[in-house]
Amino acid sequence: MEGRPLDDLALVERARTGDVNAYEALVQQYQQLAFRVAYQVTGDAADAEDAAQEAFVNAYYALGRFRPGAPFKPWLCRIVANEARNRRMAAHRRTALAERAHRAQASGEAAPSPEAAAEADEFRATLVKTLGALRDDDRLILAYRLFFDFSEADMAEALKVPKGTVKSRLSRALTRLRDALPADFQVSSGGTING
Amino acid sequence: MAESRLGDMELERALRELGSRYPYPPTPNLAVAVRRRIVAPPVAPVRRLTLWRDPRRLALAAAVVLVLAGAAALINPTTRDAIAHFFHVRGVIVSRVSPLPSLSPVTPLNLGRRTTMADAQSAVSFTIGVPAELGAPDAVYIDSQVPGGEVALAYTPRPGLPLVKQTGLGVLITEFRGDLVPGFLTKEVGPSTTLEETSVNGDPGWWVAGEPHLVITRIGDMDYPVTLRMAANTLIWEHGGVTYRIESGLSRADAFRIAAGLP
Repeated sequence: MEGRPLDDLALVERARTGDVNAYEALVQQYQQLAFRVAYQVTGDAADAEDAAQEAFVNAYYALGRFRPGAPFKPWLCRIVANEARNRRMAAHRRTALAERAHRAQASGEAAPSPEAAAEADEFRATLVKTLGALRDDDRLILAYRLFFDFSEADMAEALKVPKGTVKSRLSRALTRLRDALPADFQVSSGGTING
Repeated sequence: MAESRLGDMELERALRELGSRYPYPPTPNLAVAVRRRIVAPPVAPVRRLTLWRDPRRLALAAAVVLVLAGAAALINPTTRDAIAHFFHVRGVIVSRVSPLPSLSPVTPLNLGRRTTMADAQSAVSFTIGVPAELGAPDAVYIDSQVPGGEVALAYTPRPGLPLVKQTGLGVLITEFRGDLVPGFLTKEVGPSTTLEETSVNGDPGWWVAGEPHLVITRIGDMDYPVTLRMAANTLIWEHGGVTYRIESGLSRADAFRIAAGLP
């Protein structure tokens, strides 16, 4: 989605010395990813925006502990996901994420593009709703891999798990998603997914 | 049912399709707000913490500080604040910072999960103190990520306990094993905040009051803070390896009255 590692390295190094312009460039480069990762956790646009903003500020003050040469993207995502979880807990919002995501779609909060709205169908809504009911770690690993196209190394760093366990975790998350989907959720003969 | 279930590849393809059309809200422009908030040099407070992770470096630093302390205190009274934090309250580092980083006045407290007092007691390695002055808290939180556990007692605002904007509470008391996590809590205090070295129930402590100060918590070798927020008036001290912290909008005298009911 985003990210040219060499540029990141240079920007991070400059930001570590207090170069605010360099850090702003990193924010611009990763704000969409950060917001979307946060949204995967909170299911709420305002909470996701707050969490992403807080994570960028938090990350800036933590740059002194950032391992030189390490990839910035998964480290940032780990902070974002943590902030998003904290924000959800702090708000005492216990509404099931599935319901919130579903409600957001129904109310238009999600504001999909006209094109996407025209193409939206039931299977997508079902997938979104079912994903929303998964545990955070399951939803995040699926999103990192299949929505944001993270490498295994980046997934391991973002989730702070050993690299060797990423595949099995991904597989288990897929299994749990499949188990949670309606029984008639399947692929049609034309290759399209039907609900 | 089982025979019609999706295979991994089909499900992955469905998710990839979904990923490209996921109904995300529009991405807000965060760059301006973030820039506005990062006005202070970022790295200095983090470097200080590395001392605690290496006992040899800590011992060396302490020795150097001891040698220089007398002369430094004579030259500049504020130097004493910076020196005292090495020895004063375990689990806490207090530093004078100018200017103080600009943070949102209200950010999540990150107190852990809400629970019962009995459950919290079973999850921490010390006896939880509840101040007689306040009685049972309105909510109890436990954070088991902190070595030895951290408990938080929350009291909602009421007559005599004014609302604290930074916490949304009347009084917040936290207790943790400062002897197990020496670099857990950092307080950065700006020029407009009073920092008083004091004694609470005969134990060493700090009274931090006036303009809100910055609180940073960090666990083990995590490479980013768990909490980064502004805090109100705080009385903090350590007794028997447990560090107690009272945050409120109360006066010094009222905070000490609450502390009197704690170890």
